[in-house]
Amino acid sequence: MVDGRKPRPAFAPWDRRALPGLFDVEESARRVGAYAWLEMRLFEALGGWIATVPELDVKLVLGRHCYHHAWHAEQLQQRLPELREMNPARLTLPANEGIVAFAEALIEPEAAELTIEKLVGVFRVLLPRTIAAYTYHLNGTSTITDAPTIRTLNFLLQDEFEDWREGEMLLQSLIKTPEQIERASERAKSLEALIVVAGGIAGAGTLGEEVYELENKSEAVPE
Amino acid sequence: MKRFLPVEELARDERFIRSDLAEGFSDPRNGRVRDRTISTARLQPDRAAAPDRARSLMHGIFVGEIQALEAAGRTTFDFDDTEAPFALKLDMARQCWDESRHVEISVKLGEHMGTEIGEYTEATFLYEAACVTDPAMRLAGVNRALEGLAIDVFNTMKDFGQASGDPVLKFCEDWMLADEVTHVKMGSDWLRRLTERDPERRERALEFQRAVDKLFSLGGFRGETDESPIQIARRFRELAGFDTKEIDEIAGLAAESIAETRALLGKTG
Ligand SMILES: [Fe+2]
Ligand SMILES: [Fe+2]
Repeated sequence: MVDGRKPRPAFAPWDRRALPGLFDVEESARRVGAYAWLEMRLFEALGGWIATVPELDVKLVLGRHCYHHAWHAEQLQQRLPELREMNPARLTLPANEGIVAFAEALIEPEAAELTIEKLVGVFRVLLPRTIAAYTYHLNGTSTITDAPTIRTLNFLLQDEFEDWREGEMLLQSLIKTPEQIERASERAKSLEALIVVAGGIAGAGTLGEEVYELENKSEAVPE
Repeated sequence: MKRFLPVEELARDERFIRSDLAEGFSDPRNGRVRDRTISTARLQPDRAAAPDRARSLMHGIFVGEIQALEAAGRTTFDFDDTEAPFALKLDMARQCWDESRHVEISVKLGEHMGTEIGEYTEATFLYEAACVTDPAMRLAGVNRALEGLAIDVFNTMKDFGQASGDPVLKFCEDWMLADEVTHVKMGSDWLRRLTERDPERRERALEFQRAVDKLFSLGGFRGETDESPIQIARRFRELAGFDTKEIDEIAGLAAESIAETRALLGKTG
């Protein structure tokens, strides 16, 4: 018979959760607000693009993913009041001007012939960045104090991984000629330059890296 | 990407051919056909034309679902946060996912019924109603008038699936019907919230809704008698936030329109 009165440690031997974490309350809230801002721009862009893409399968995937990212924004905003920001809109902000420039460039393509450009921006530049940033957050933040953010990010990451895979498969099925290969890489290159300047989706130090002073920001090459 | 994408710029592959809805409705042969018809205009499986009519209607549903998807998508993008709050856009994003599934269902149902994409033409009235620049009007015209029509159409098709012994058709229509009730309810809720302090704006939006409703009552296309192929689904409309007076009004439009068509054809009721 198990003796329930015998003292046991609060943490089982296999439970390695630890204190403290990399982020204080403010920093976790700032990051969550920056993620929410970008998820919002993303779902709006996906929604707007649905009418502009002629490929029926792409149209339907955009419709599905549009909701995923809107739901992500909602989940992230729900976390903000728990991080001392009672007005979620006040912290739902871009990390910096660079991210605003990146989002504007991401959303820009409109013409029906630009499906590759639209998808490359989302699936080859942005989603790899959100996956990286969310992973860094949940690996770095305190697994005890910031557990609600970790739980939310894990739900989001499941969508991000699946959506990224689906988008990448669409792109592989659309990119067939040397000219299309060129278009896809040019598009990735120009957006990559903007997000490198921004430092990532949460700004400088998105992945905890040292903050490089960029000598010439337009070149987007760290010193 | 610019805000407000005109209907001419809707992107389609080469299978899709556009047609003008008004042309179809104003075709005087429709009235004569109805007059000549010796029994009901309803979709009934024992009529020789029923399979063809159902396939044509199904294709109409398919292109309507694409436009509903596009319209909801544009509403997430066309307005800033002051014109359309995040919660509204979140509802529209959810609707995008639902309409995506409806397109998928419609493609599979079309195959099931023996129809190909592009076999019939596409009228773009749904998206056209989504081109208005006031979100309250857009929700009234699209989510209340046109998604309301979708409730009537799906319920009619569901009954046809039941009557013709097609469980796949009945199953699919019932699932889509459940989603459409939600979409109409979103329209009812947001119309109320957006125009809470602006009765004139609400009246303009409702006026637009009535104009769209009237278009689909033309020639008695949708009504409550044997003369209408599409039957008004009162119970589901109530679930979606329509009151009895509003439903009576829609039924009245159909009766009026049938009388007008008869007068145009120089006949008496
Ligand atoms: Fe639908
Ligand atoms: Fe709908």
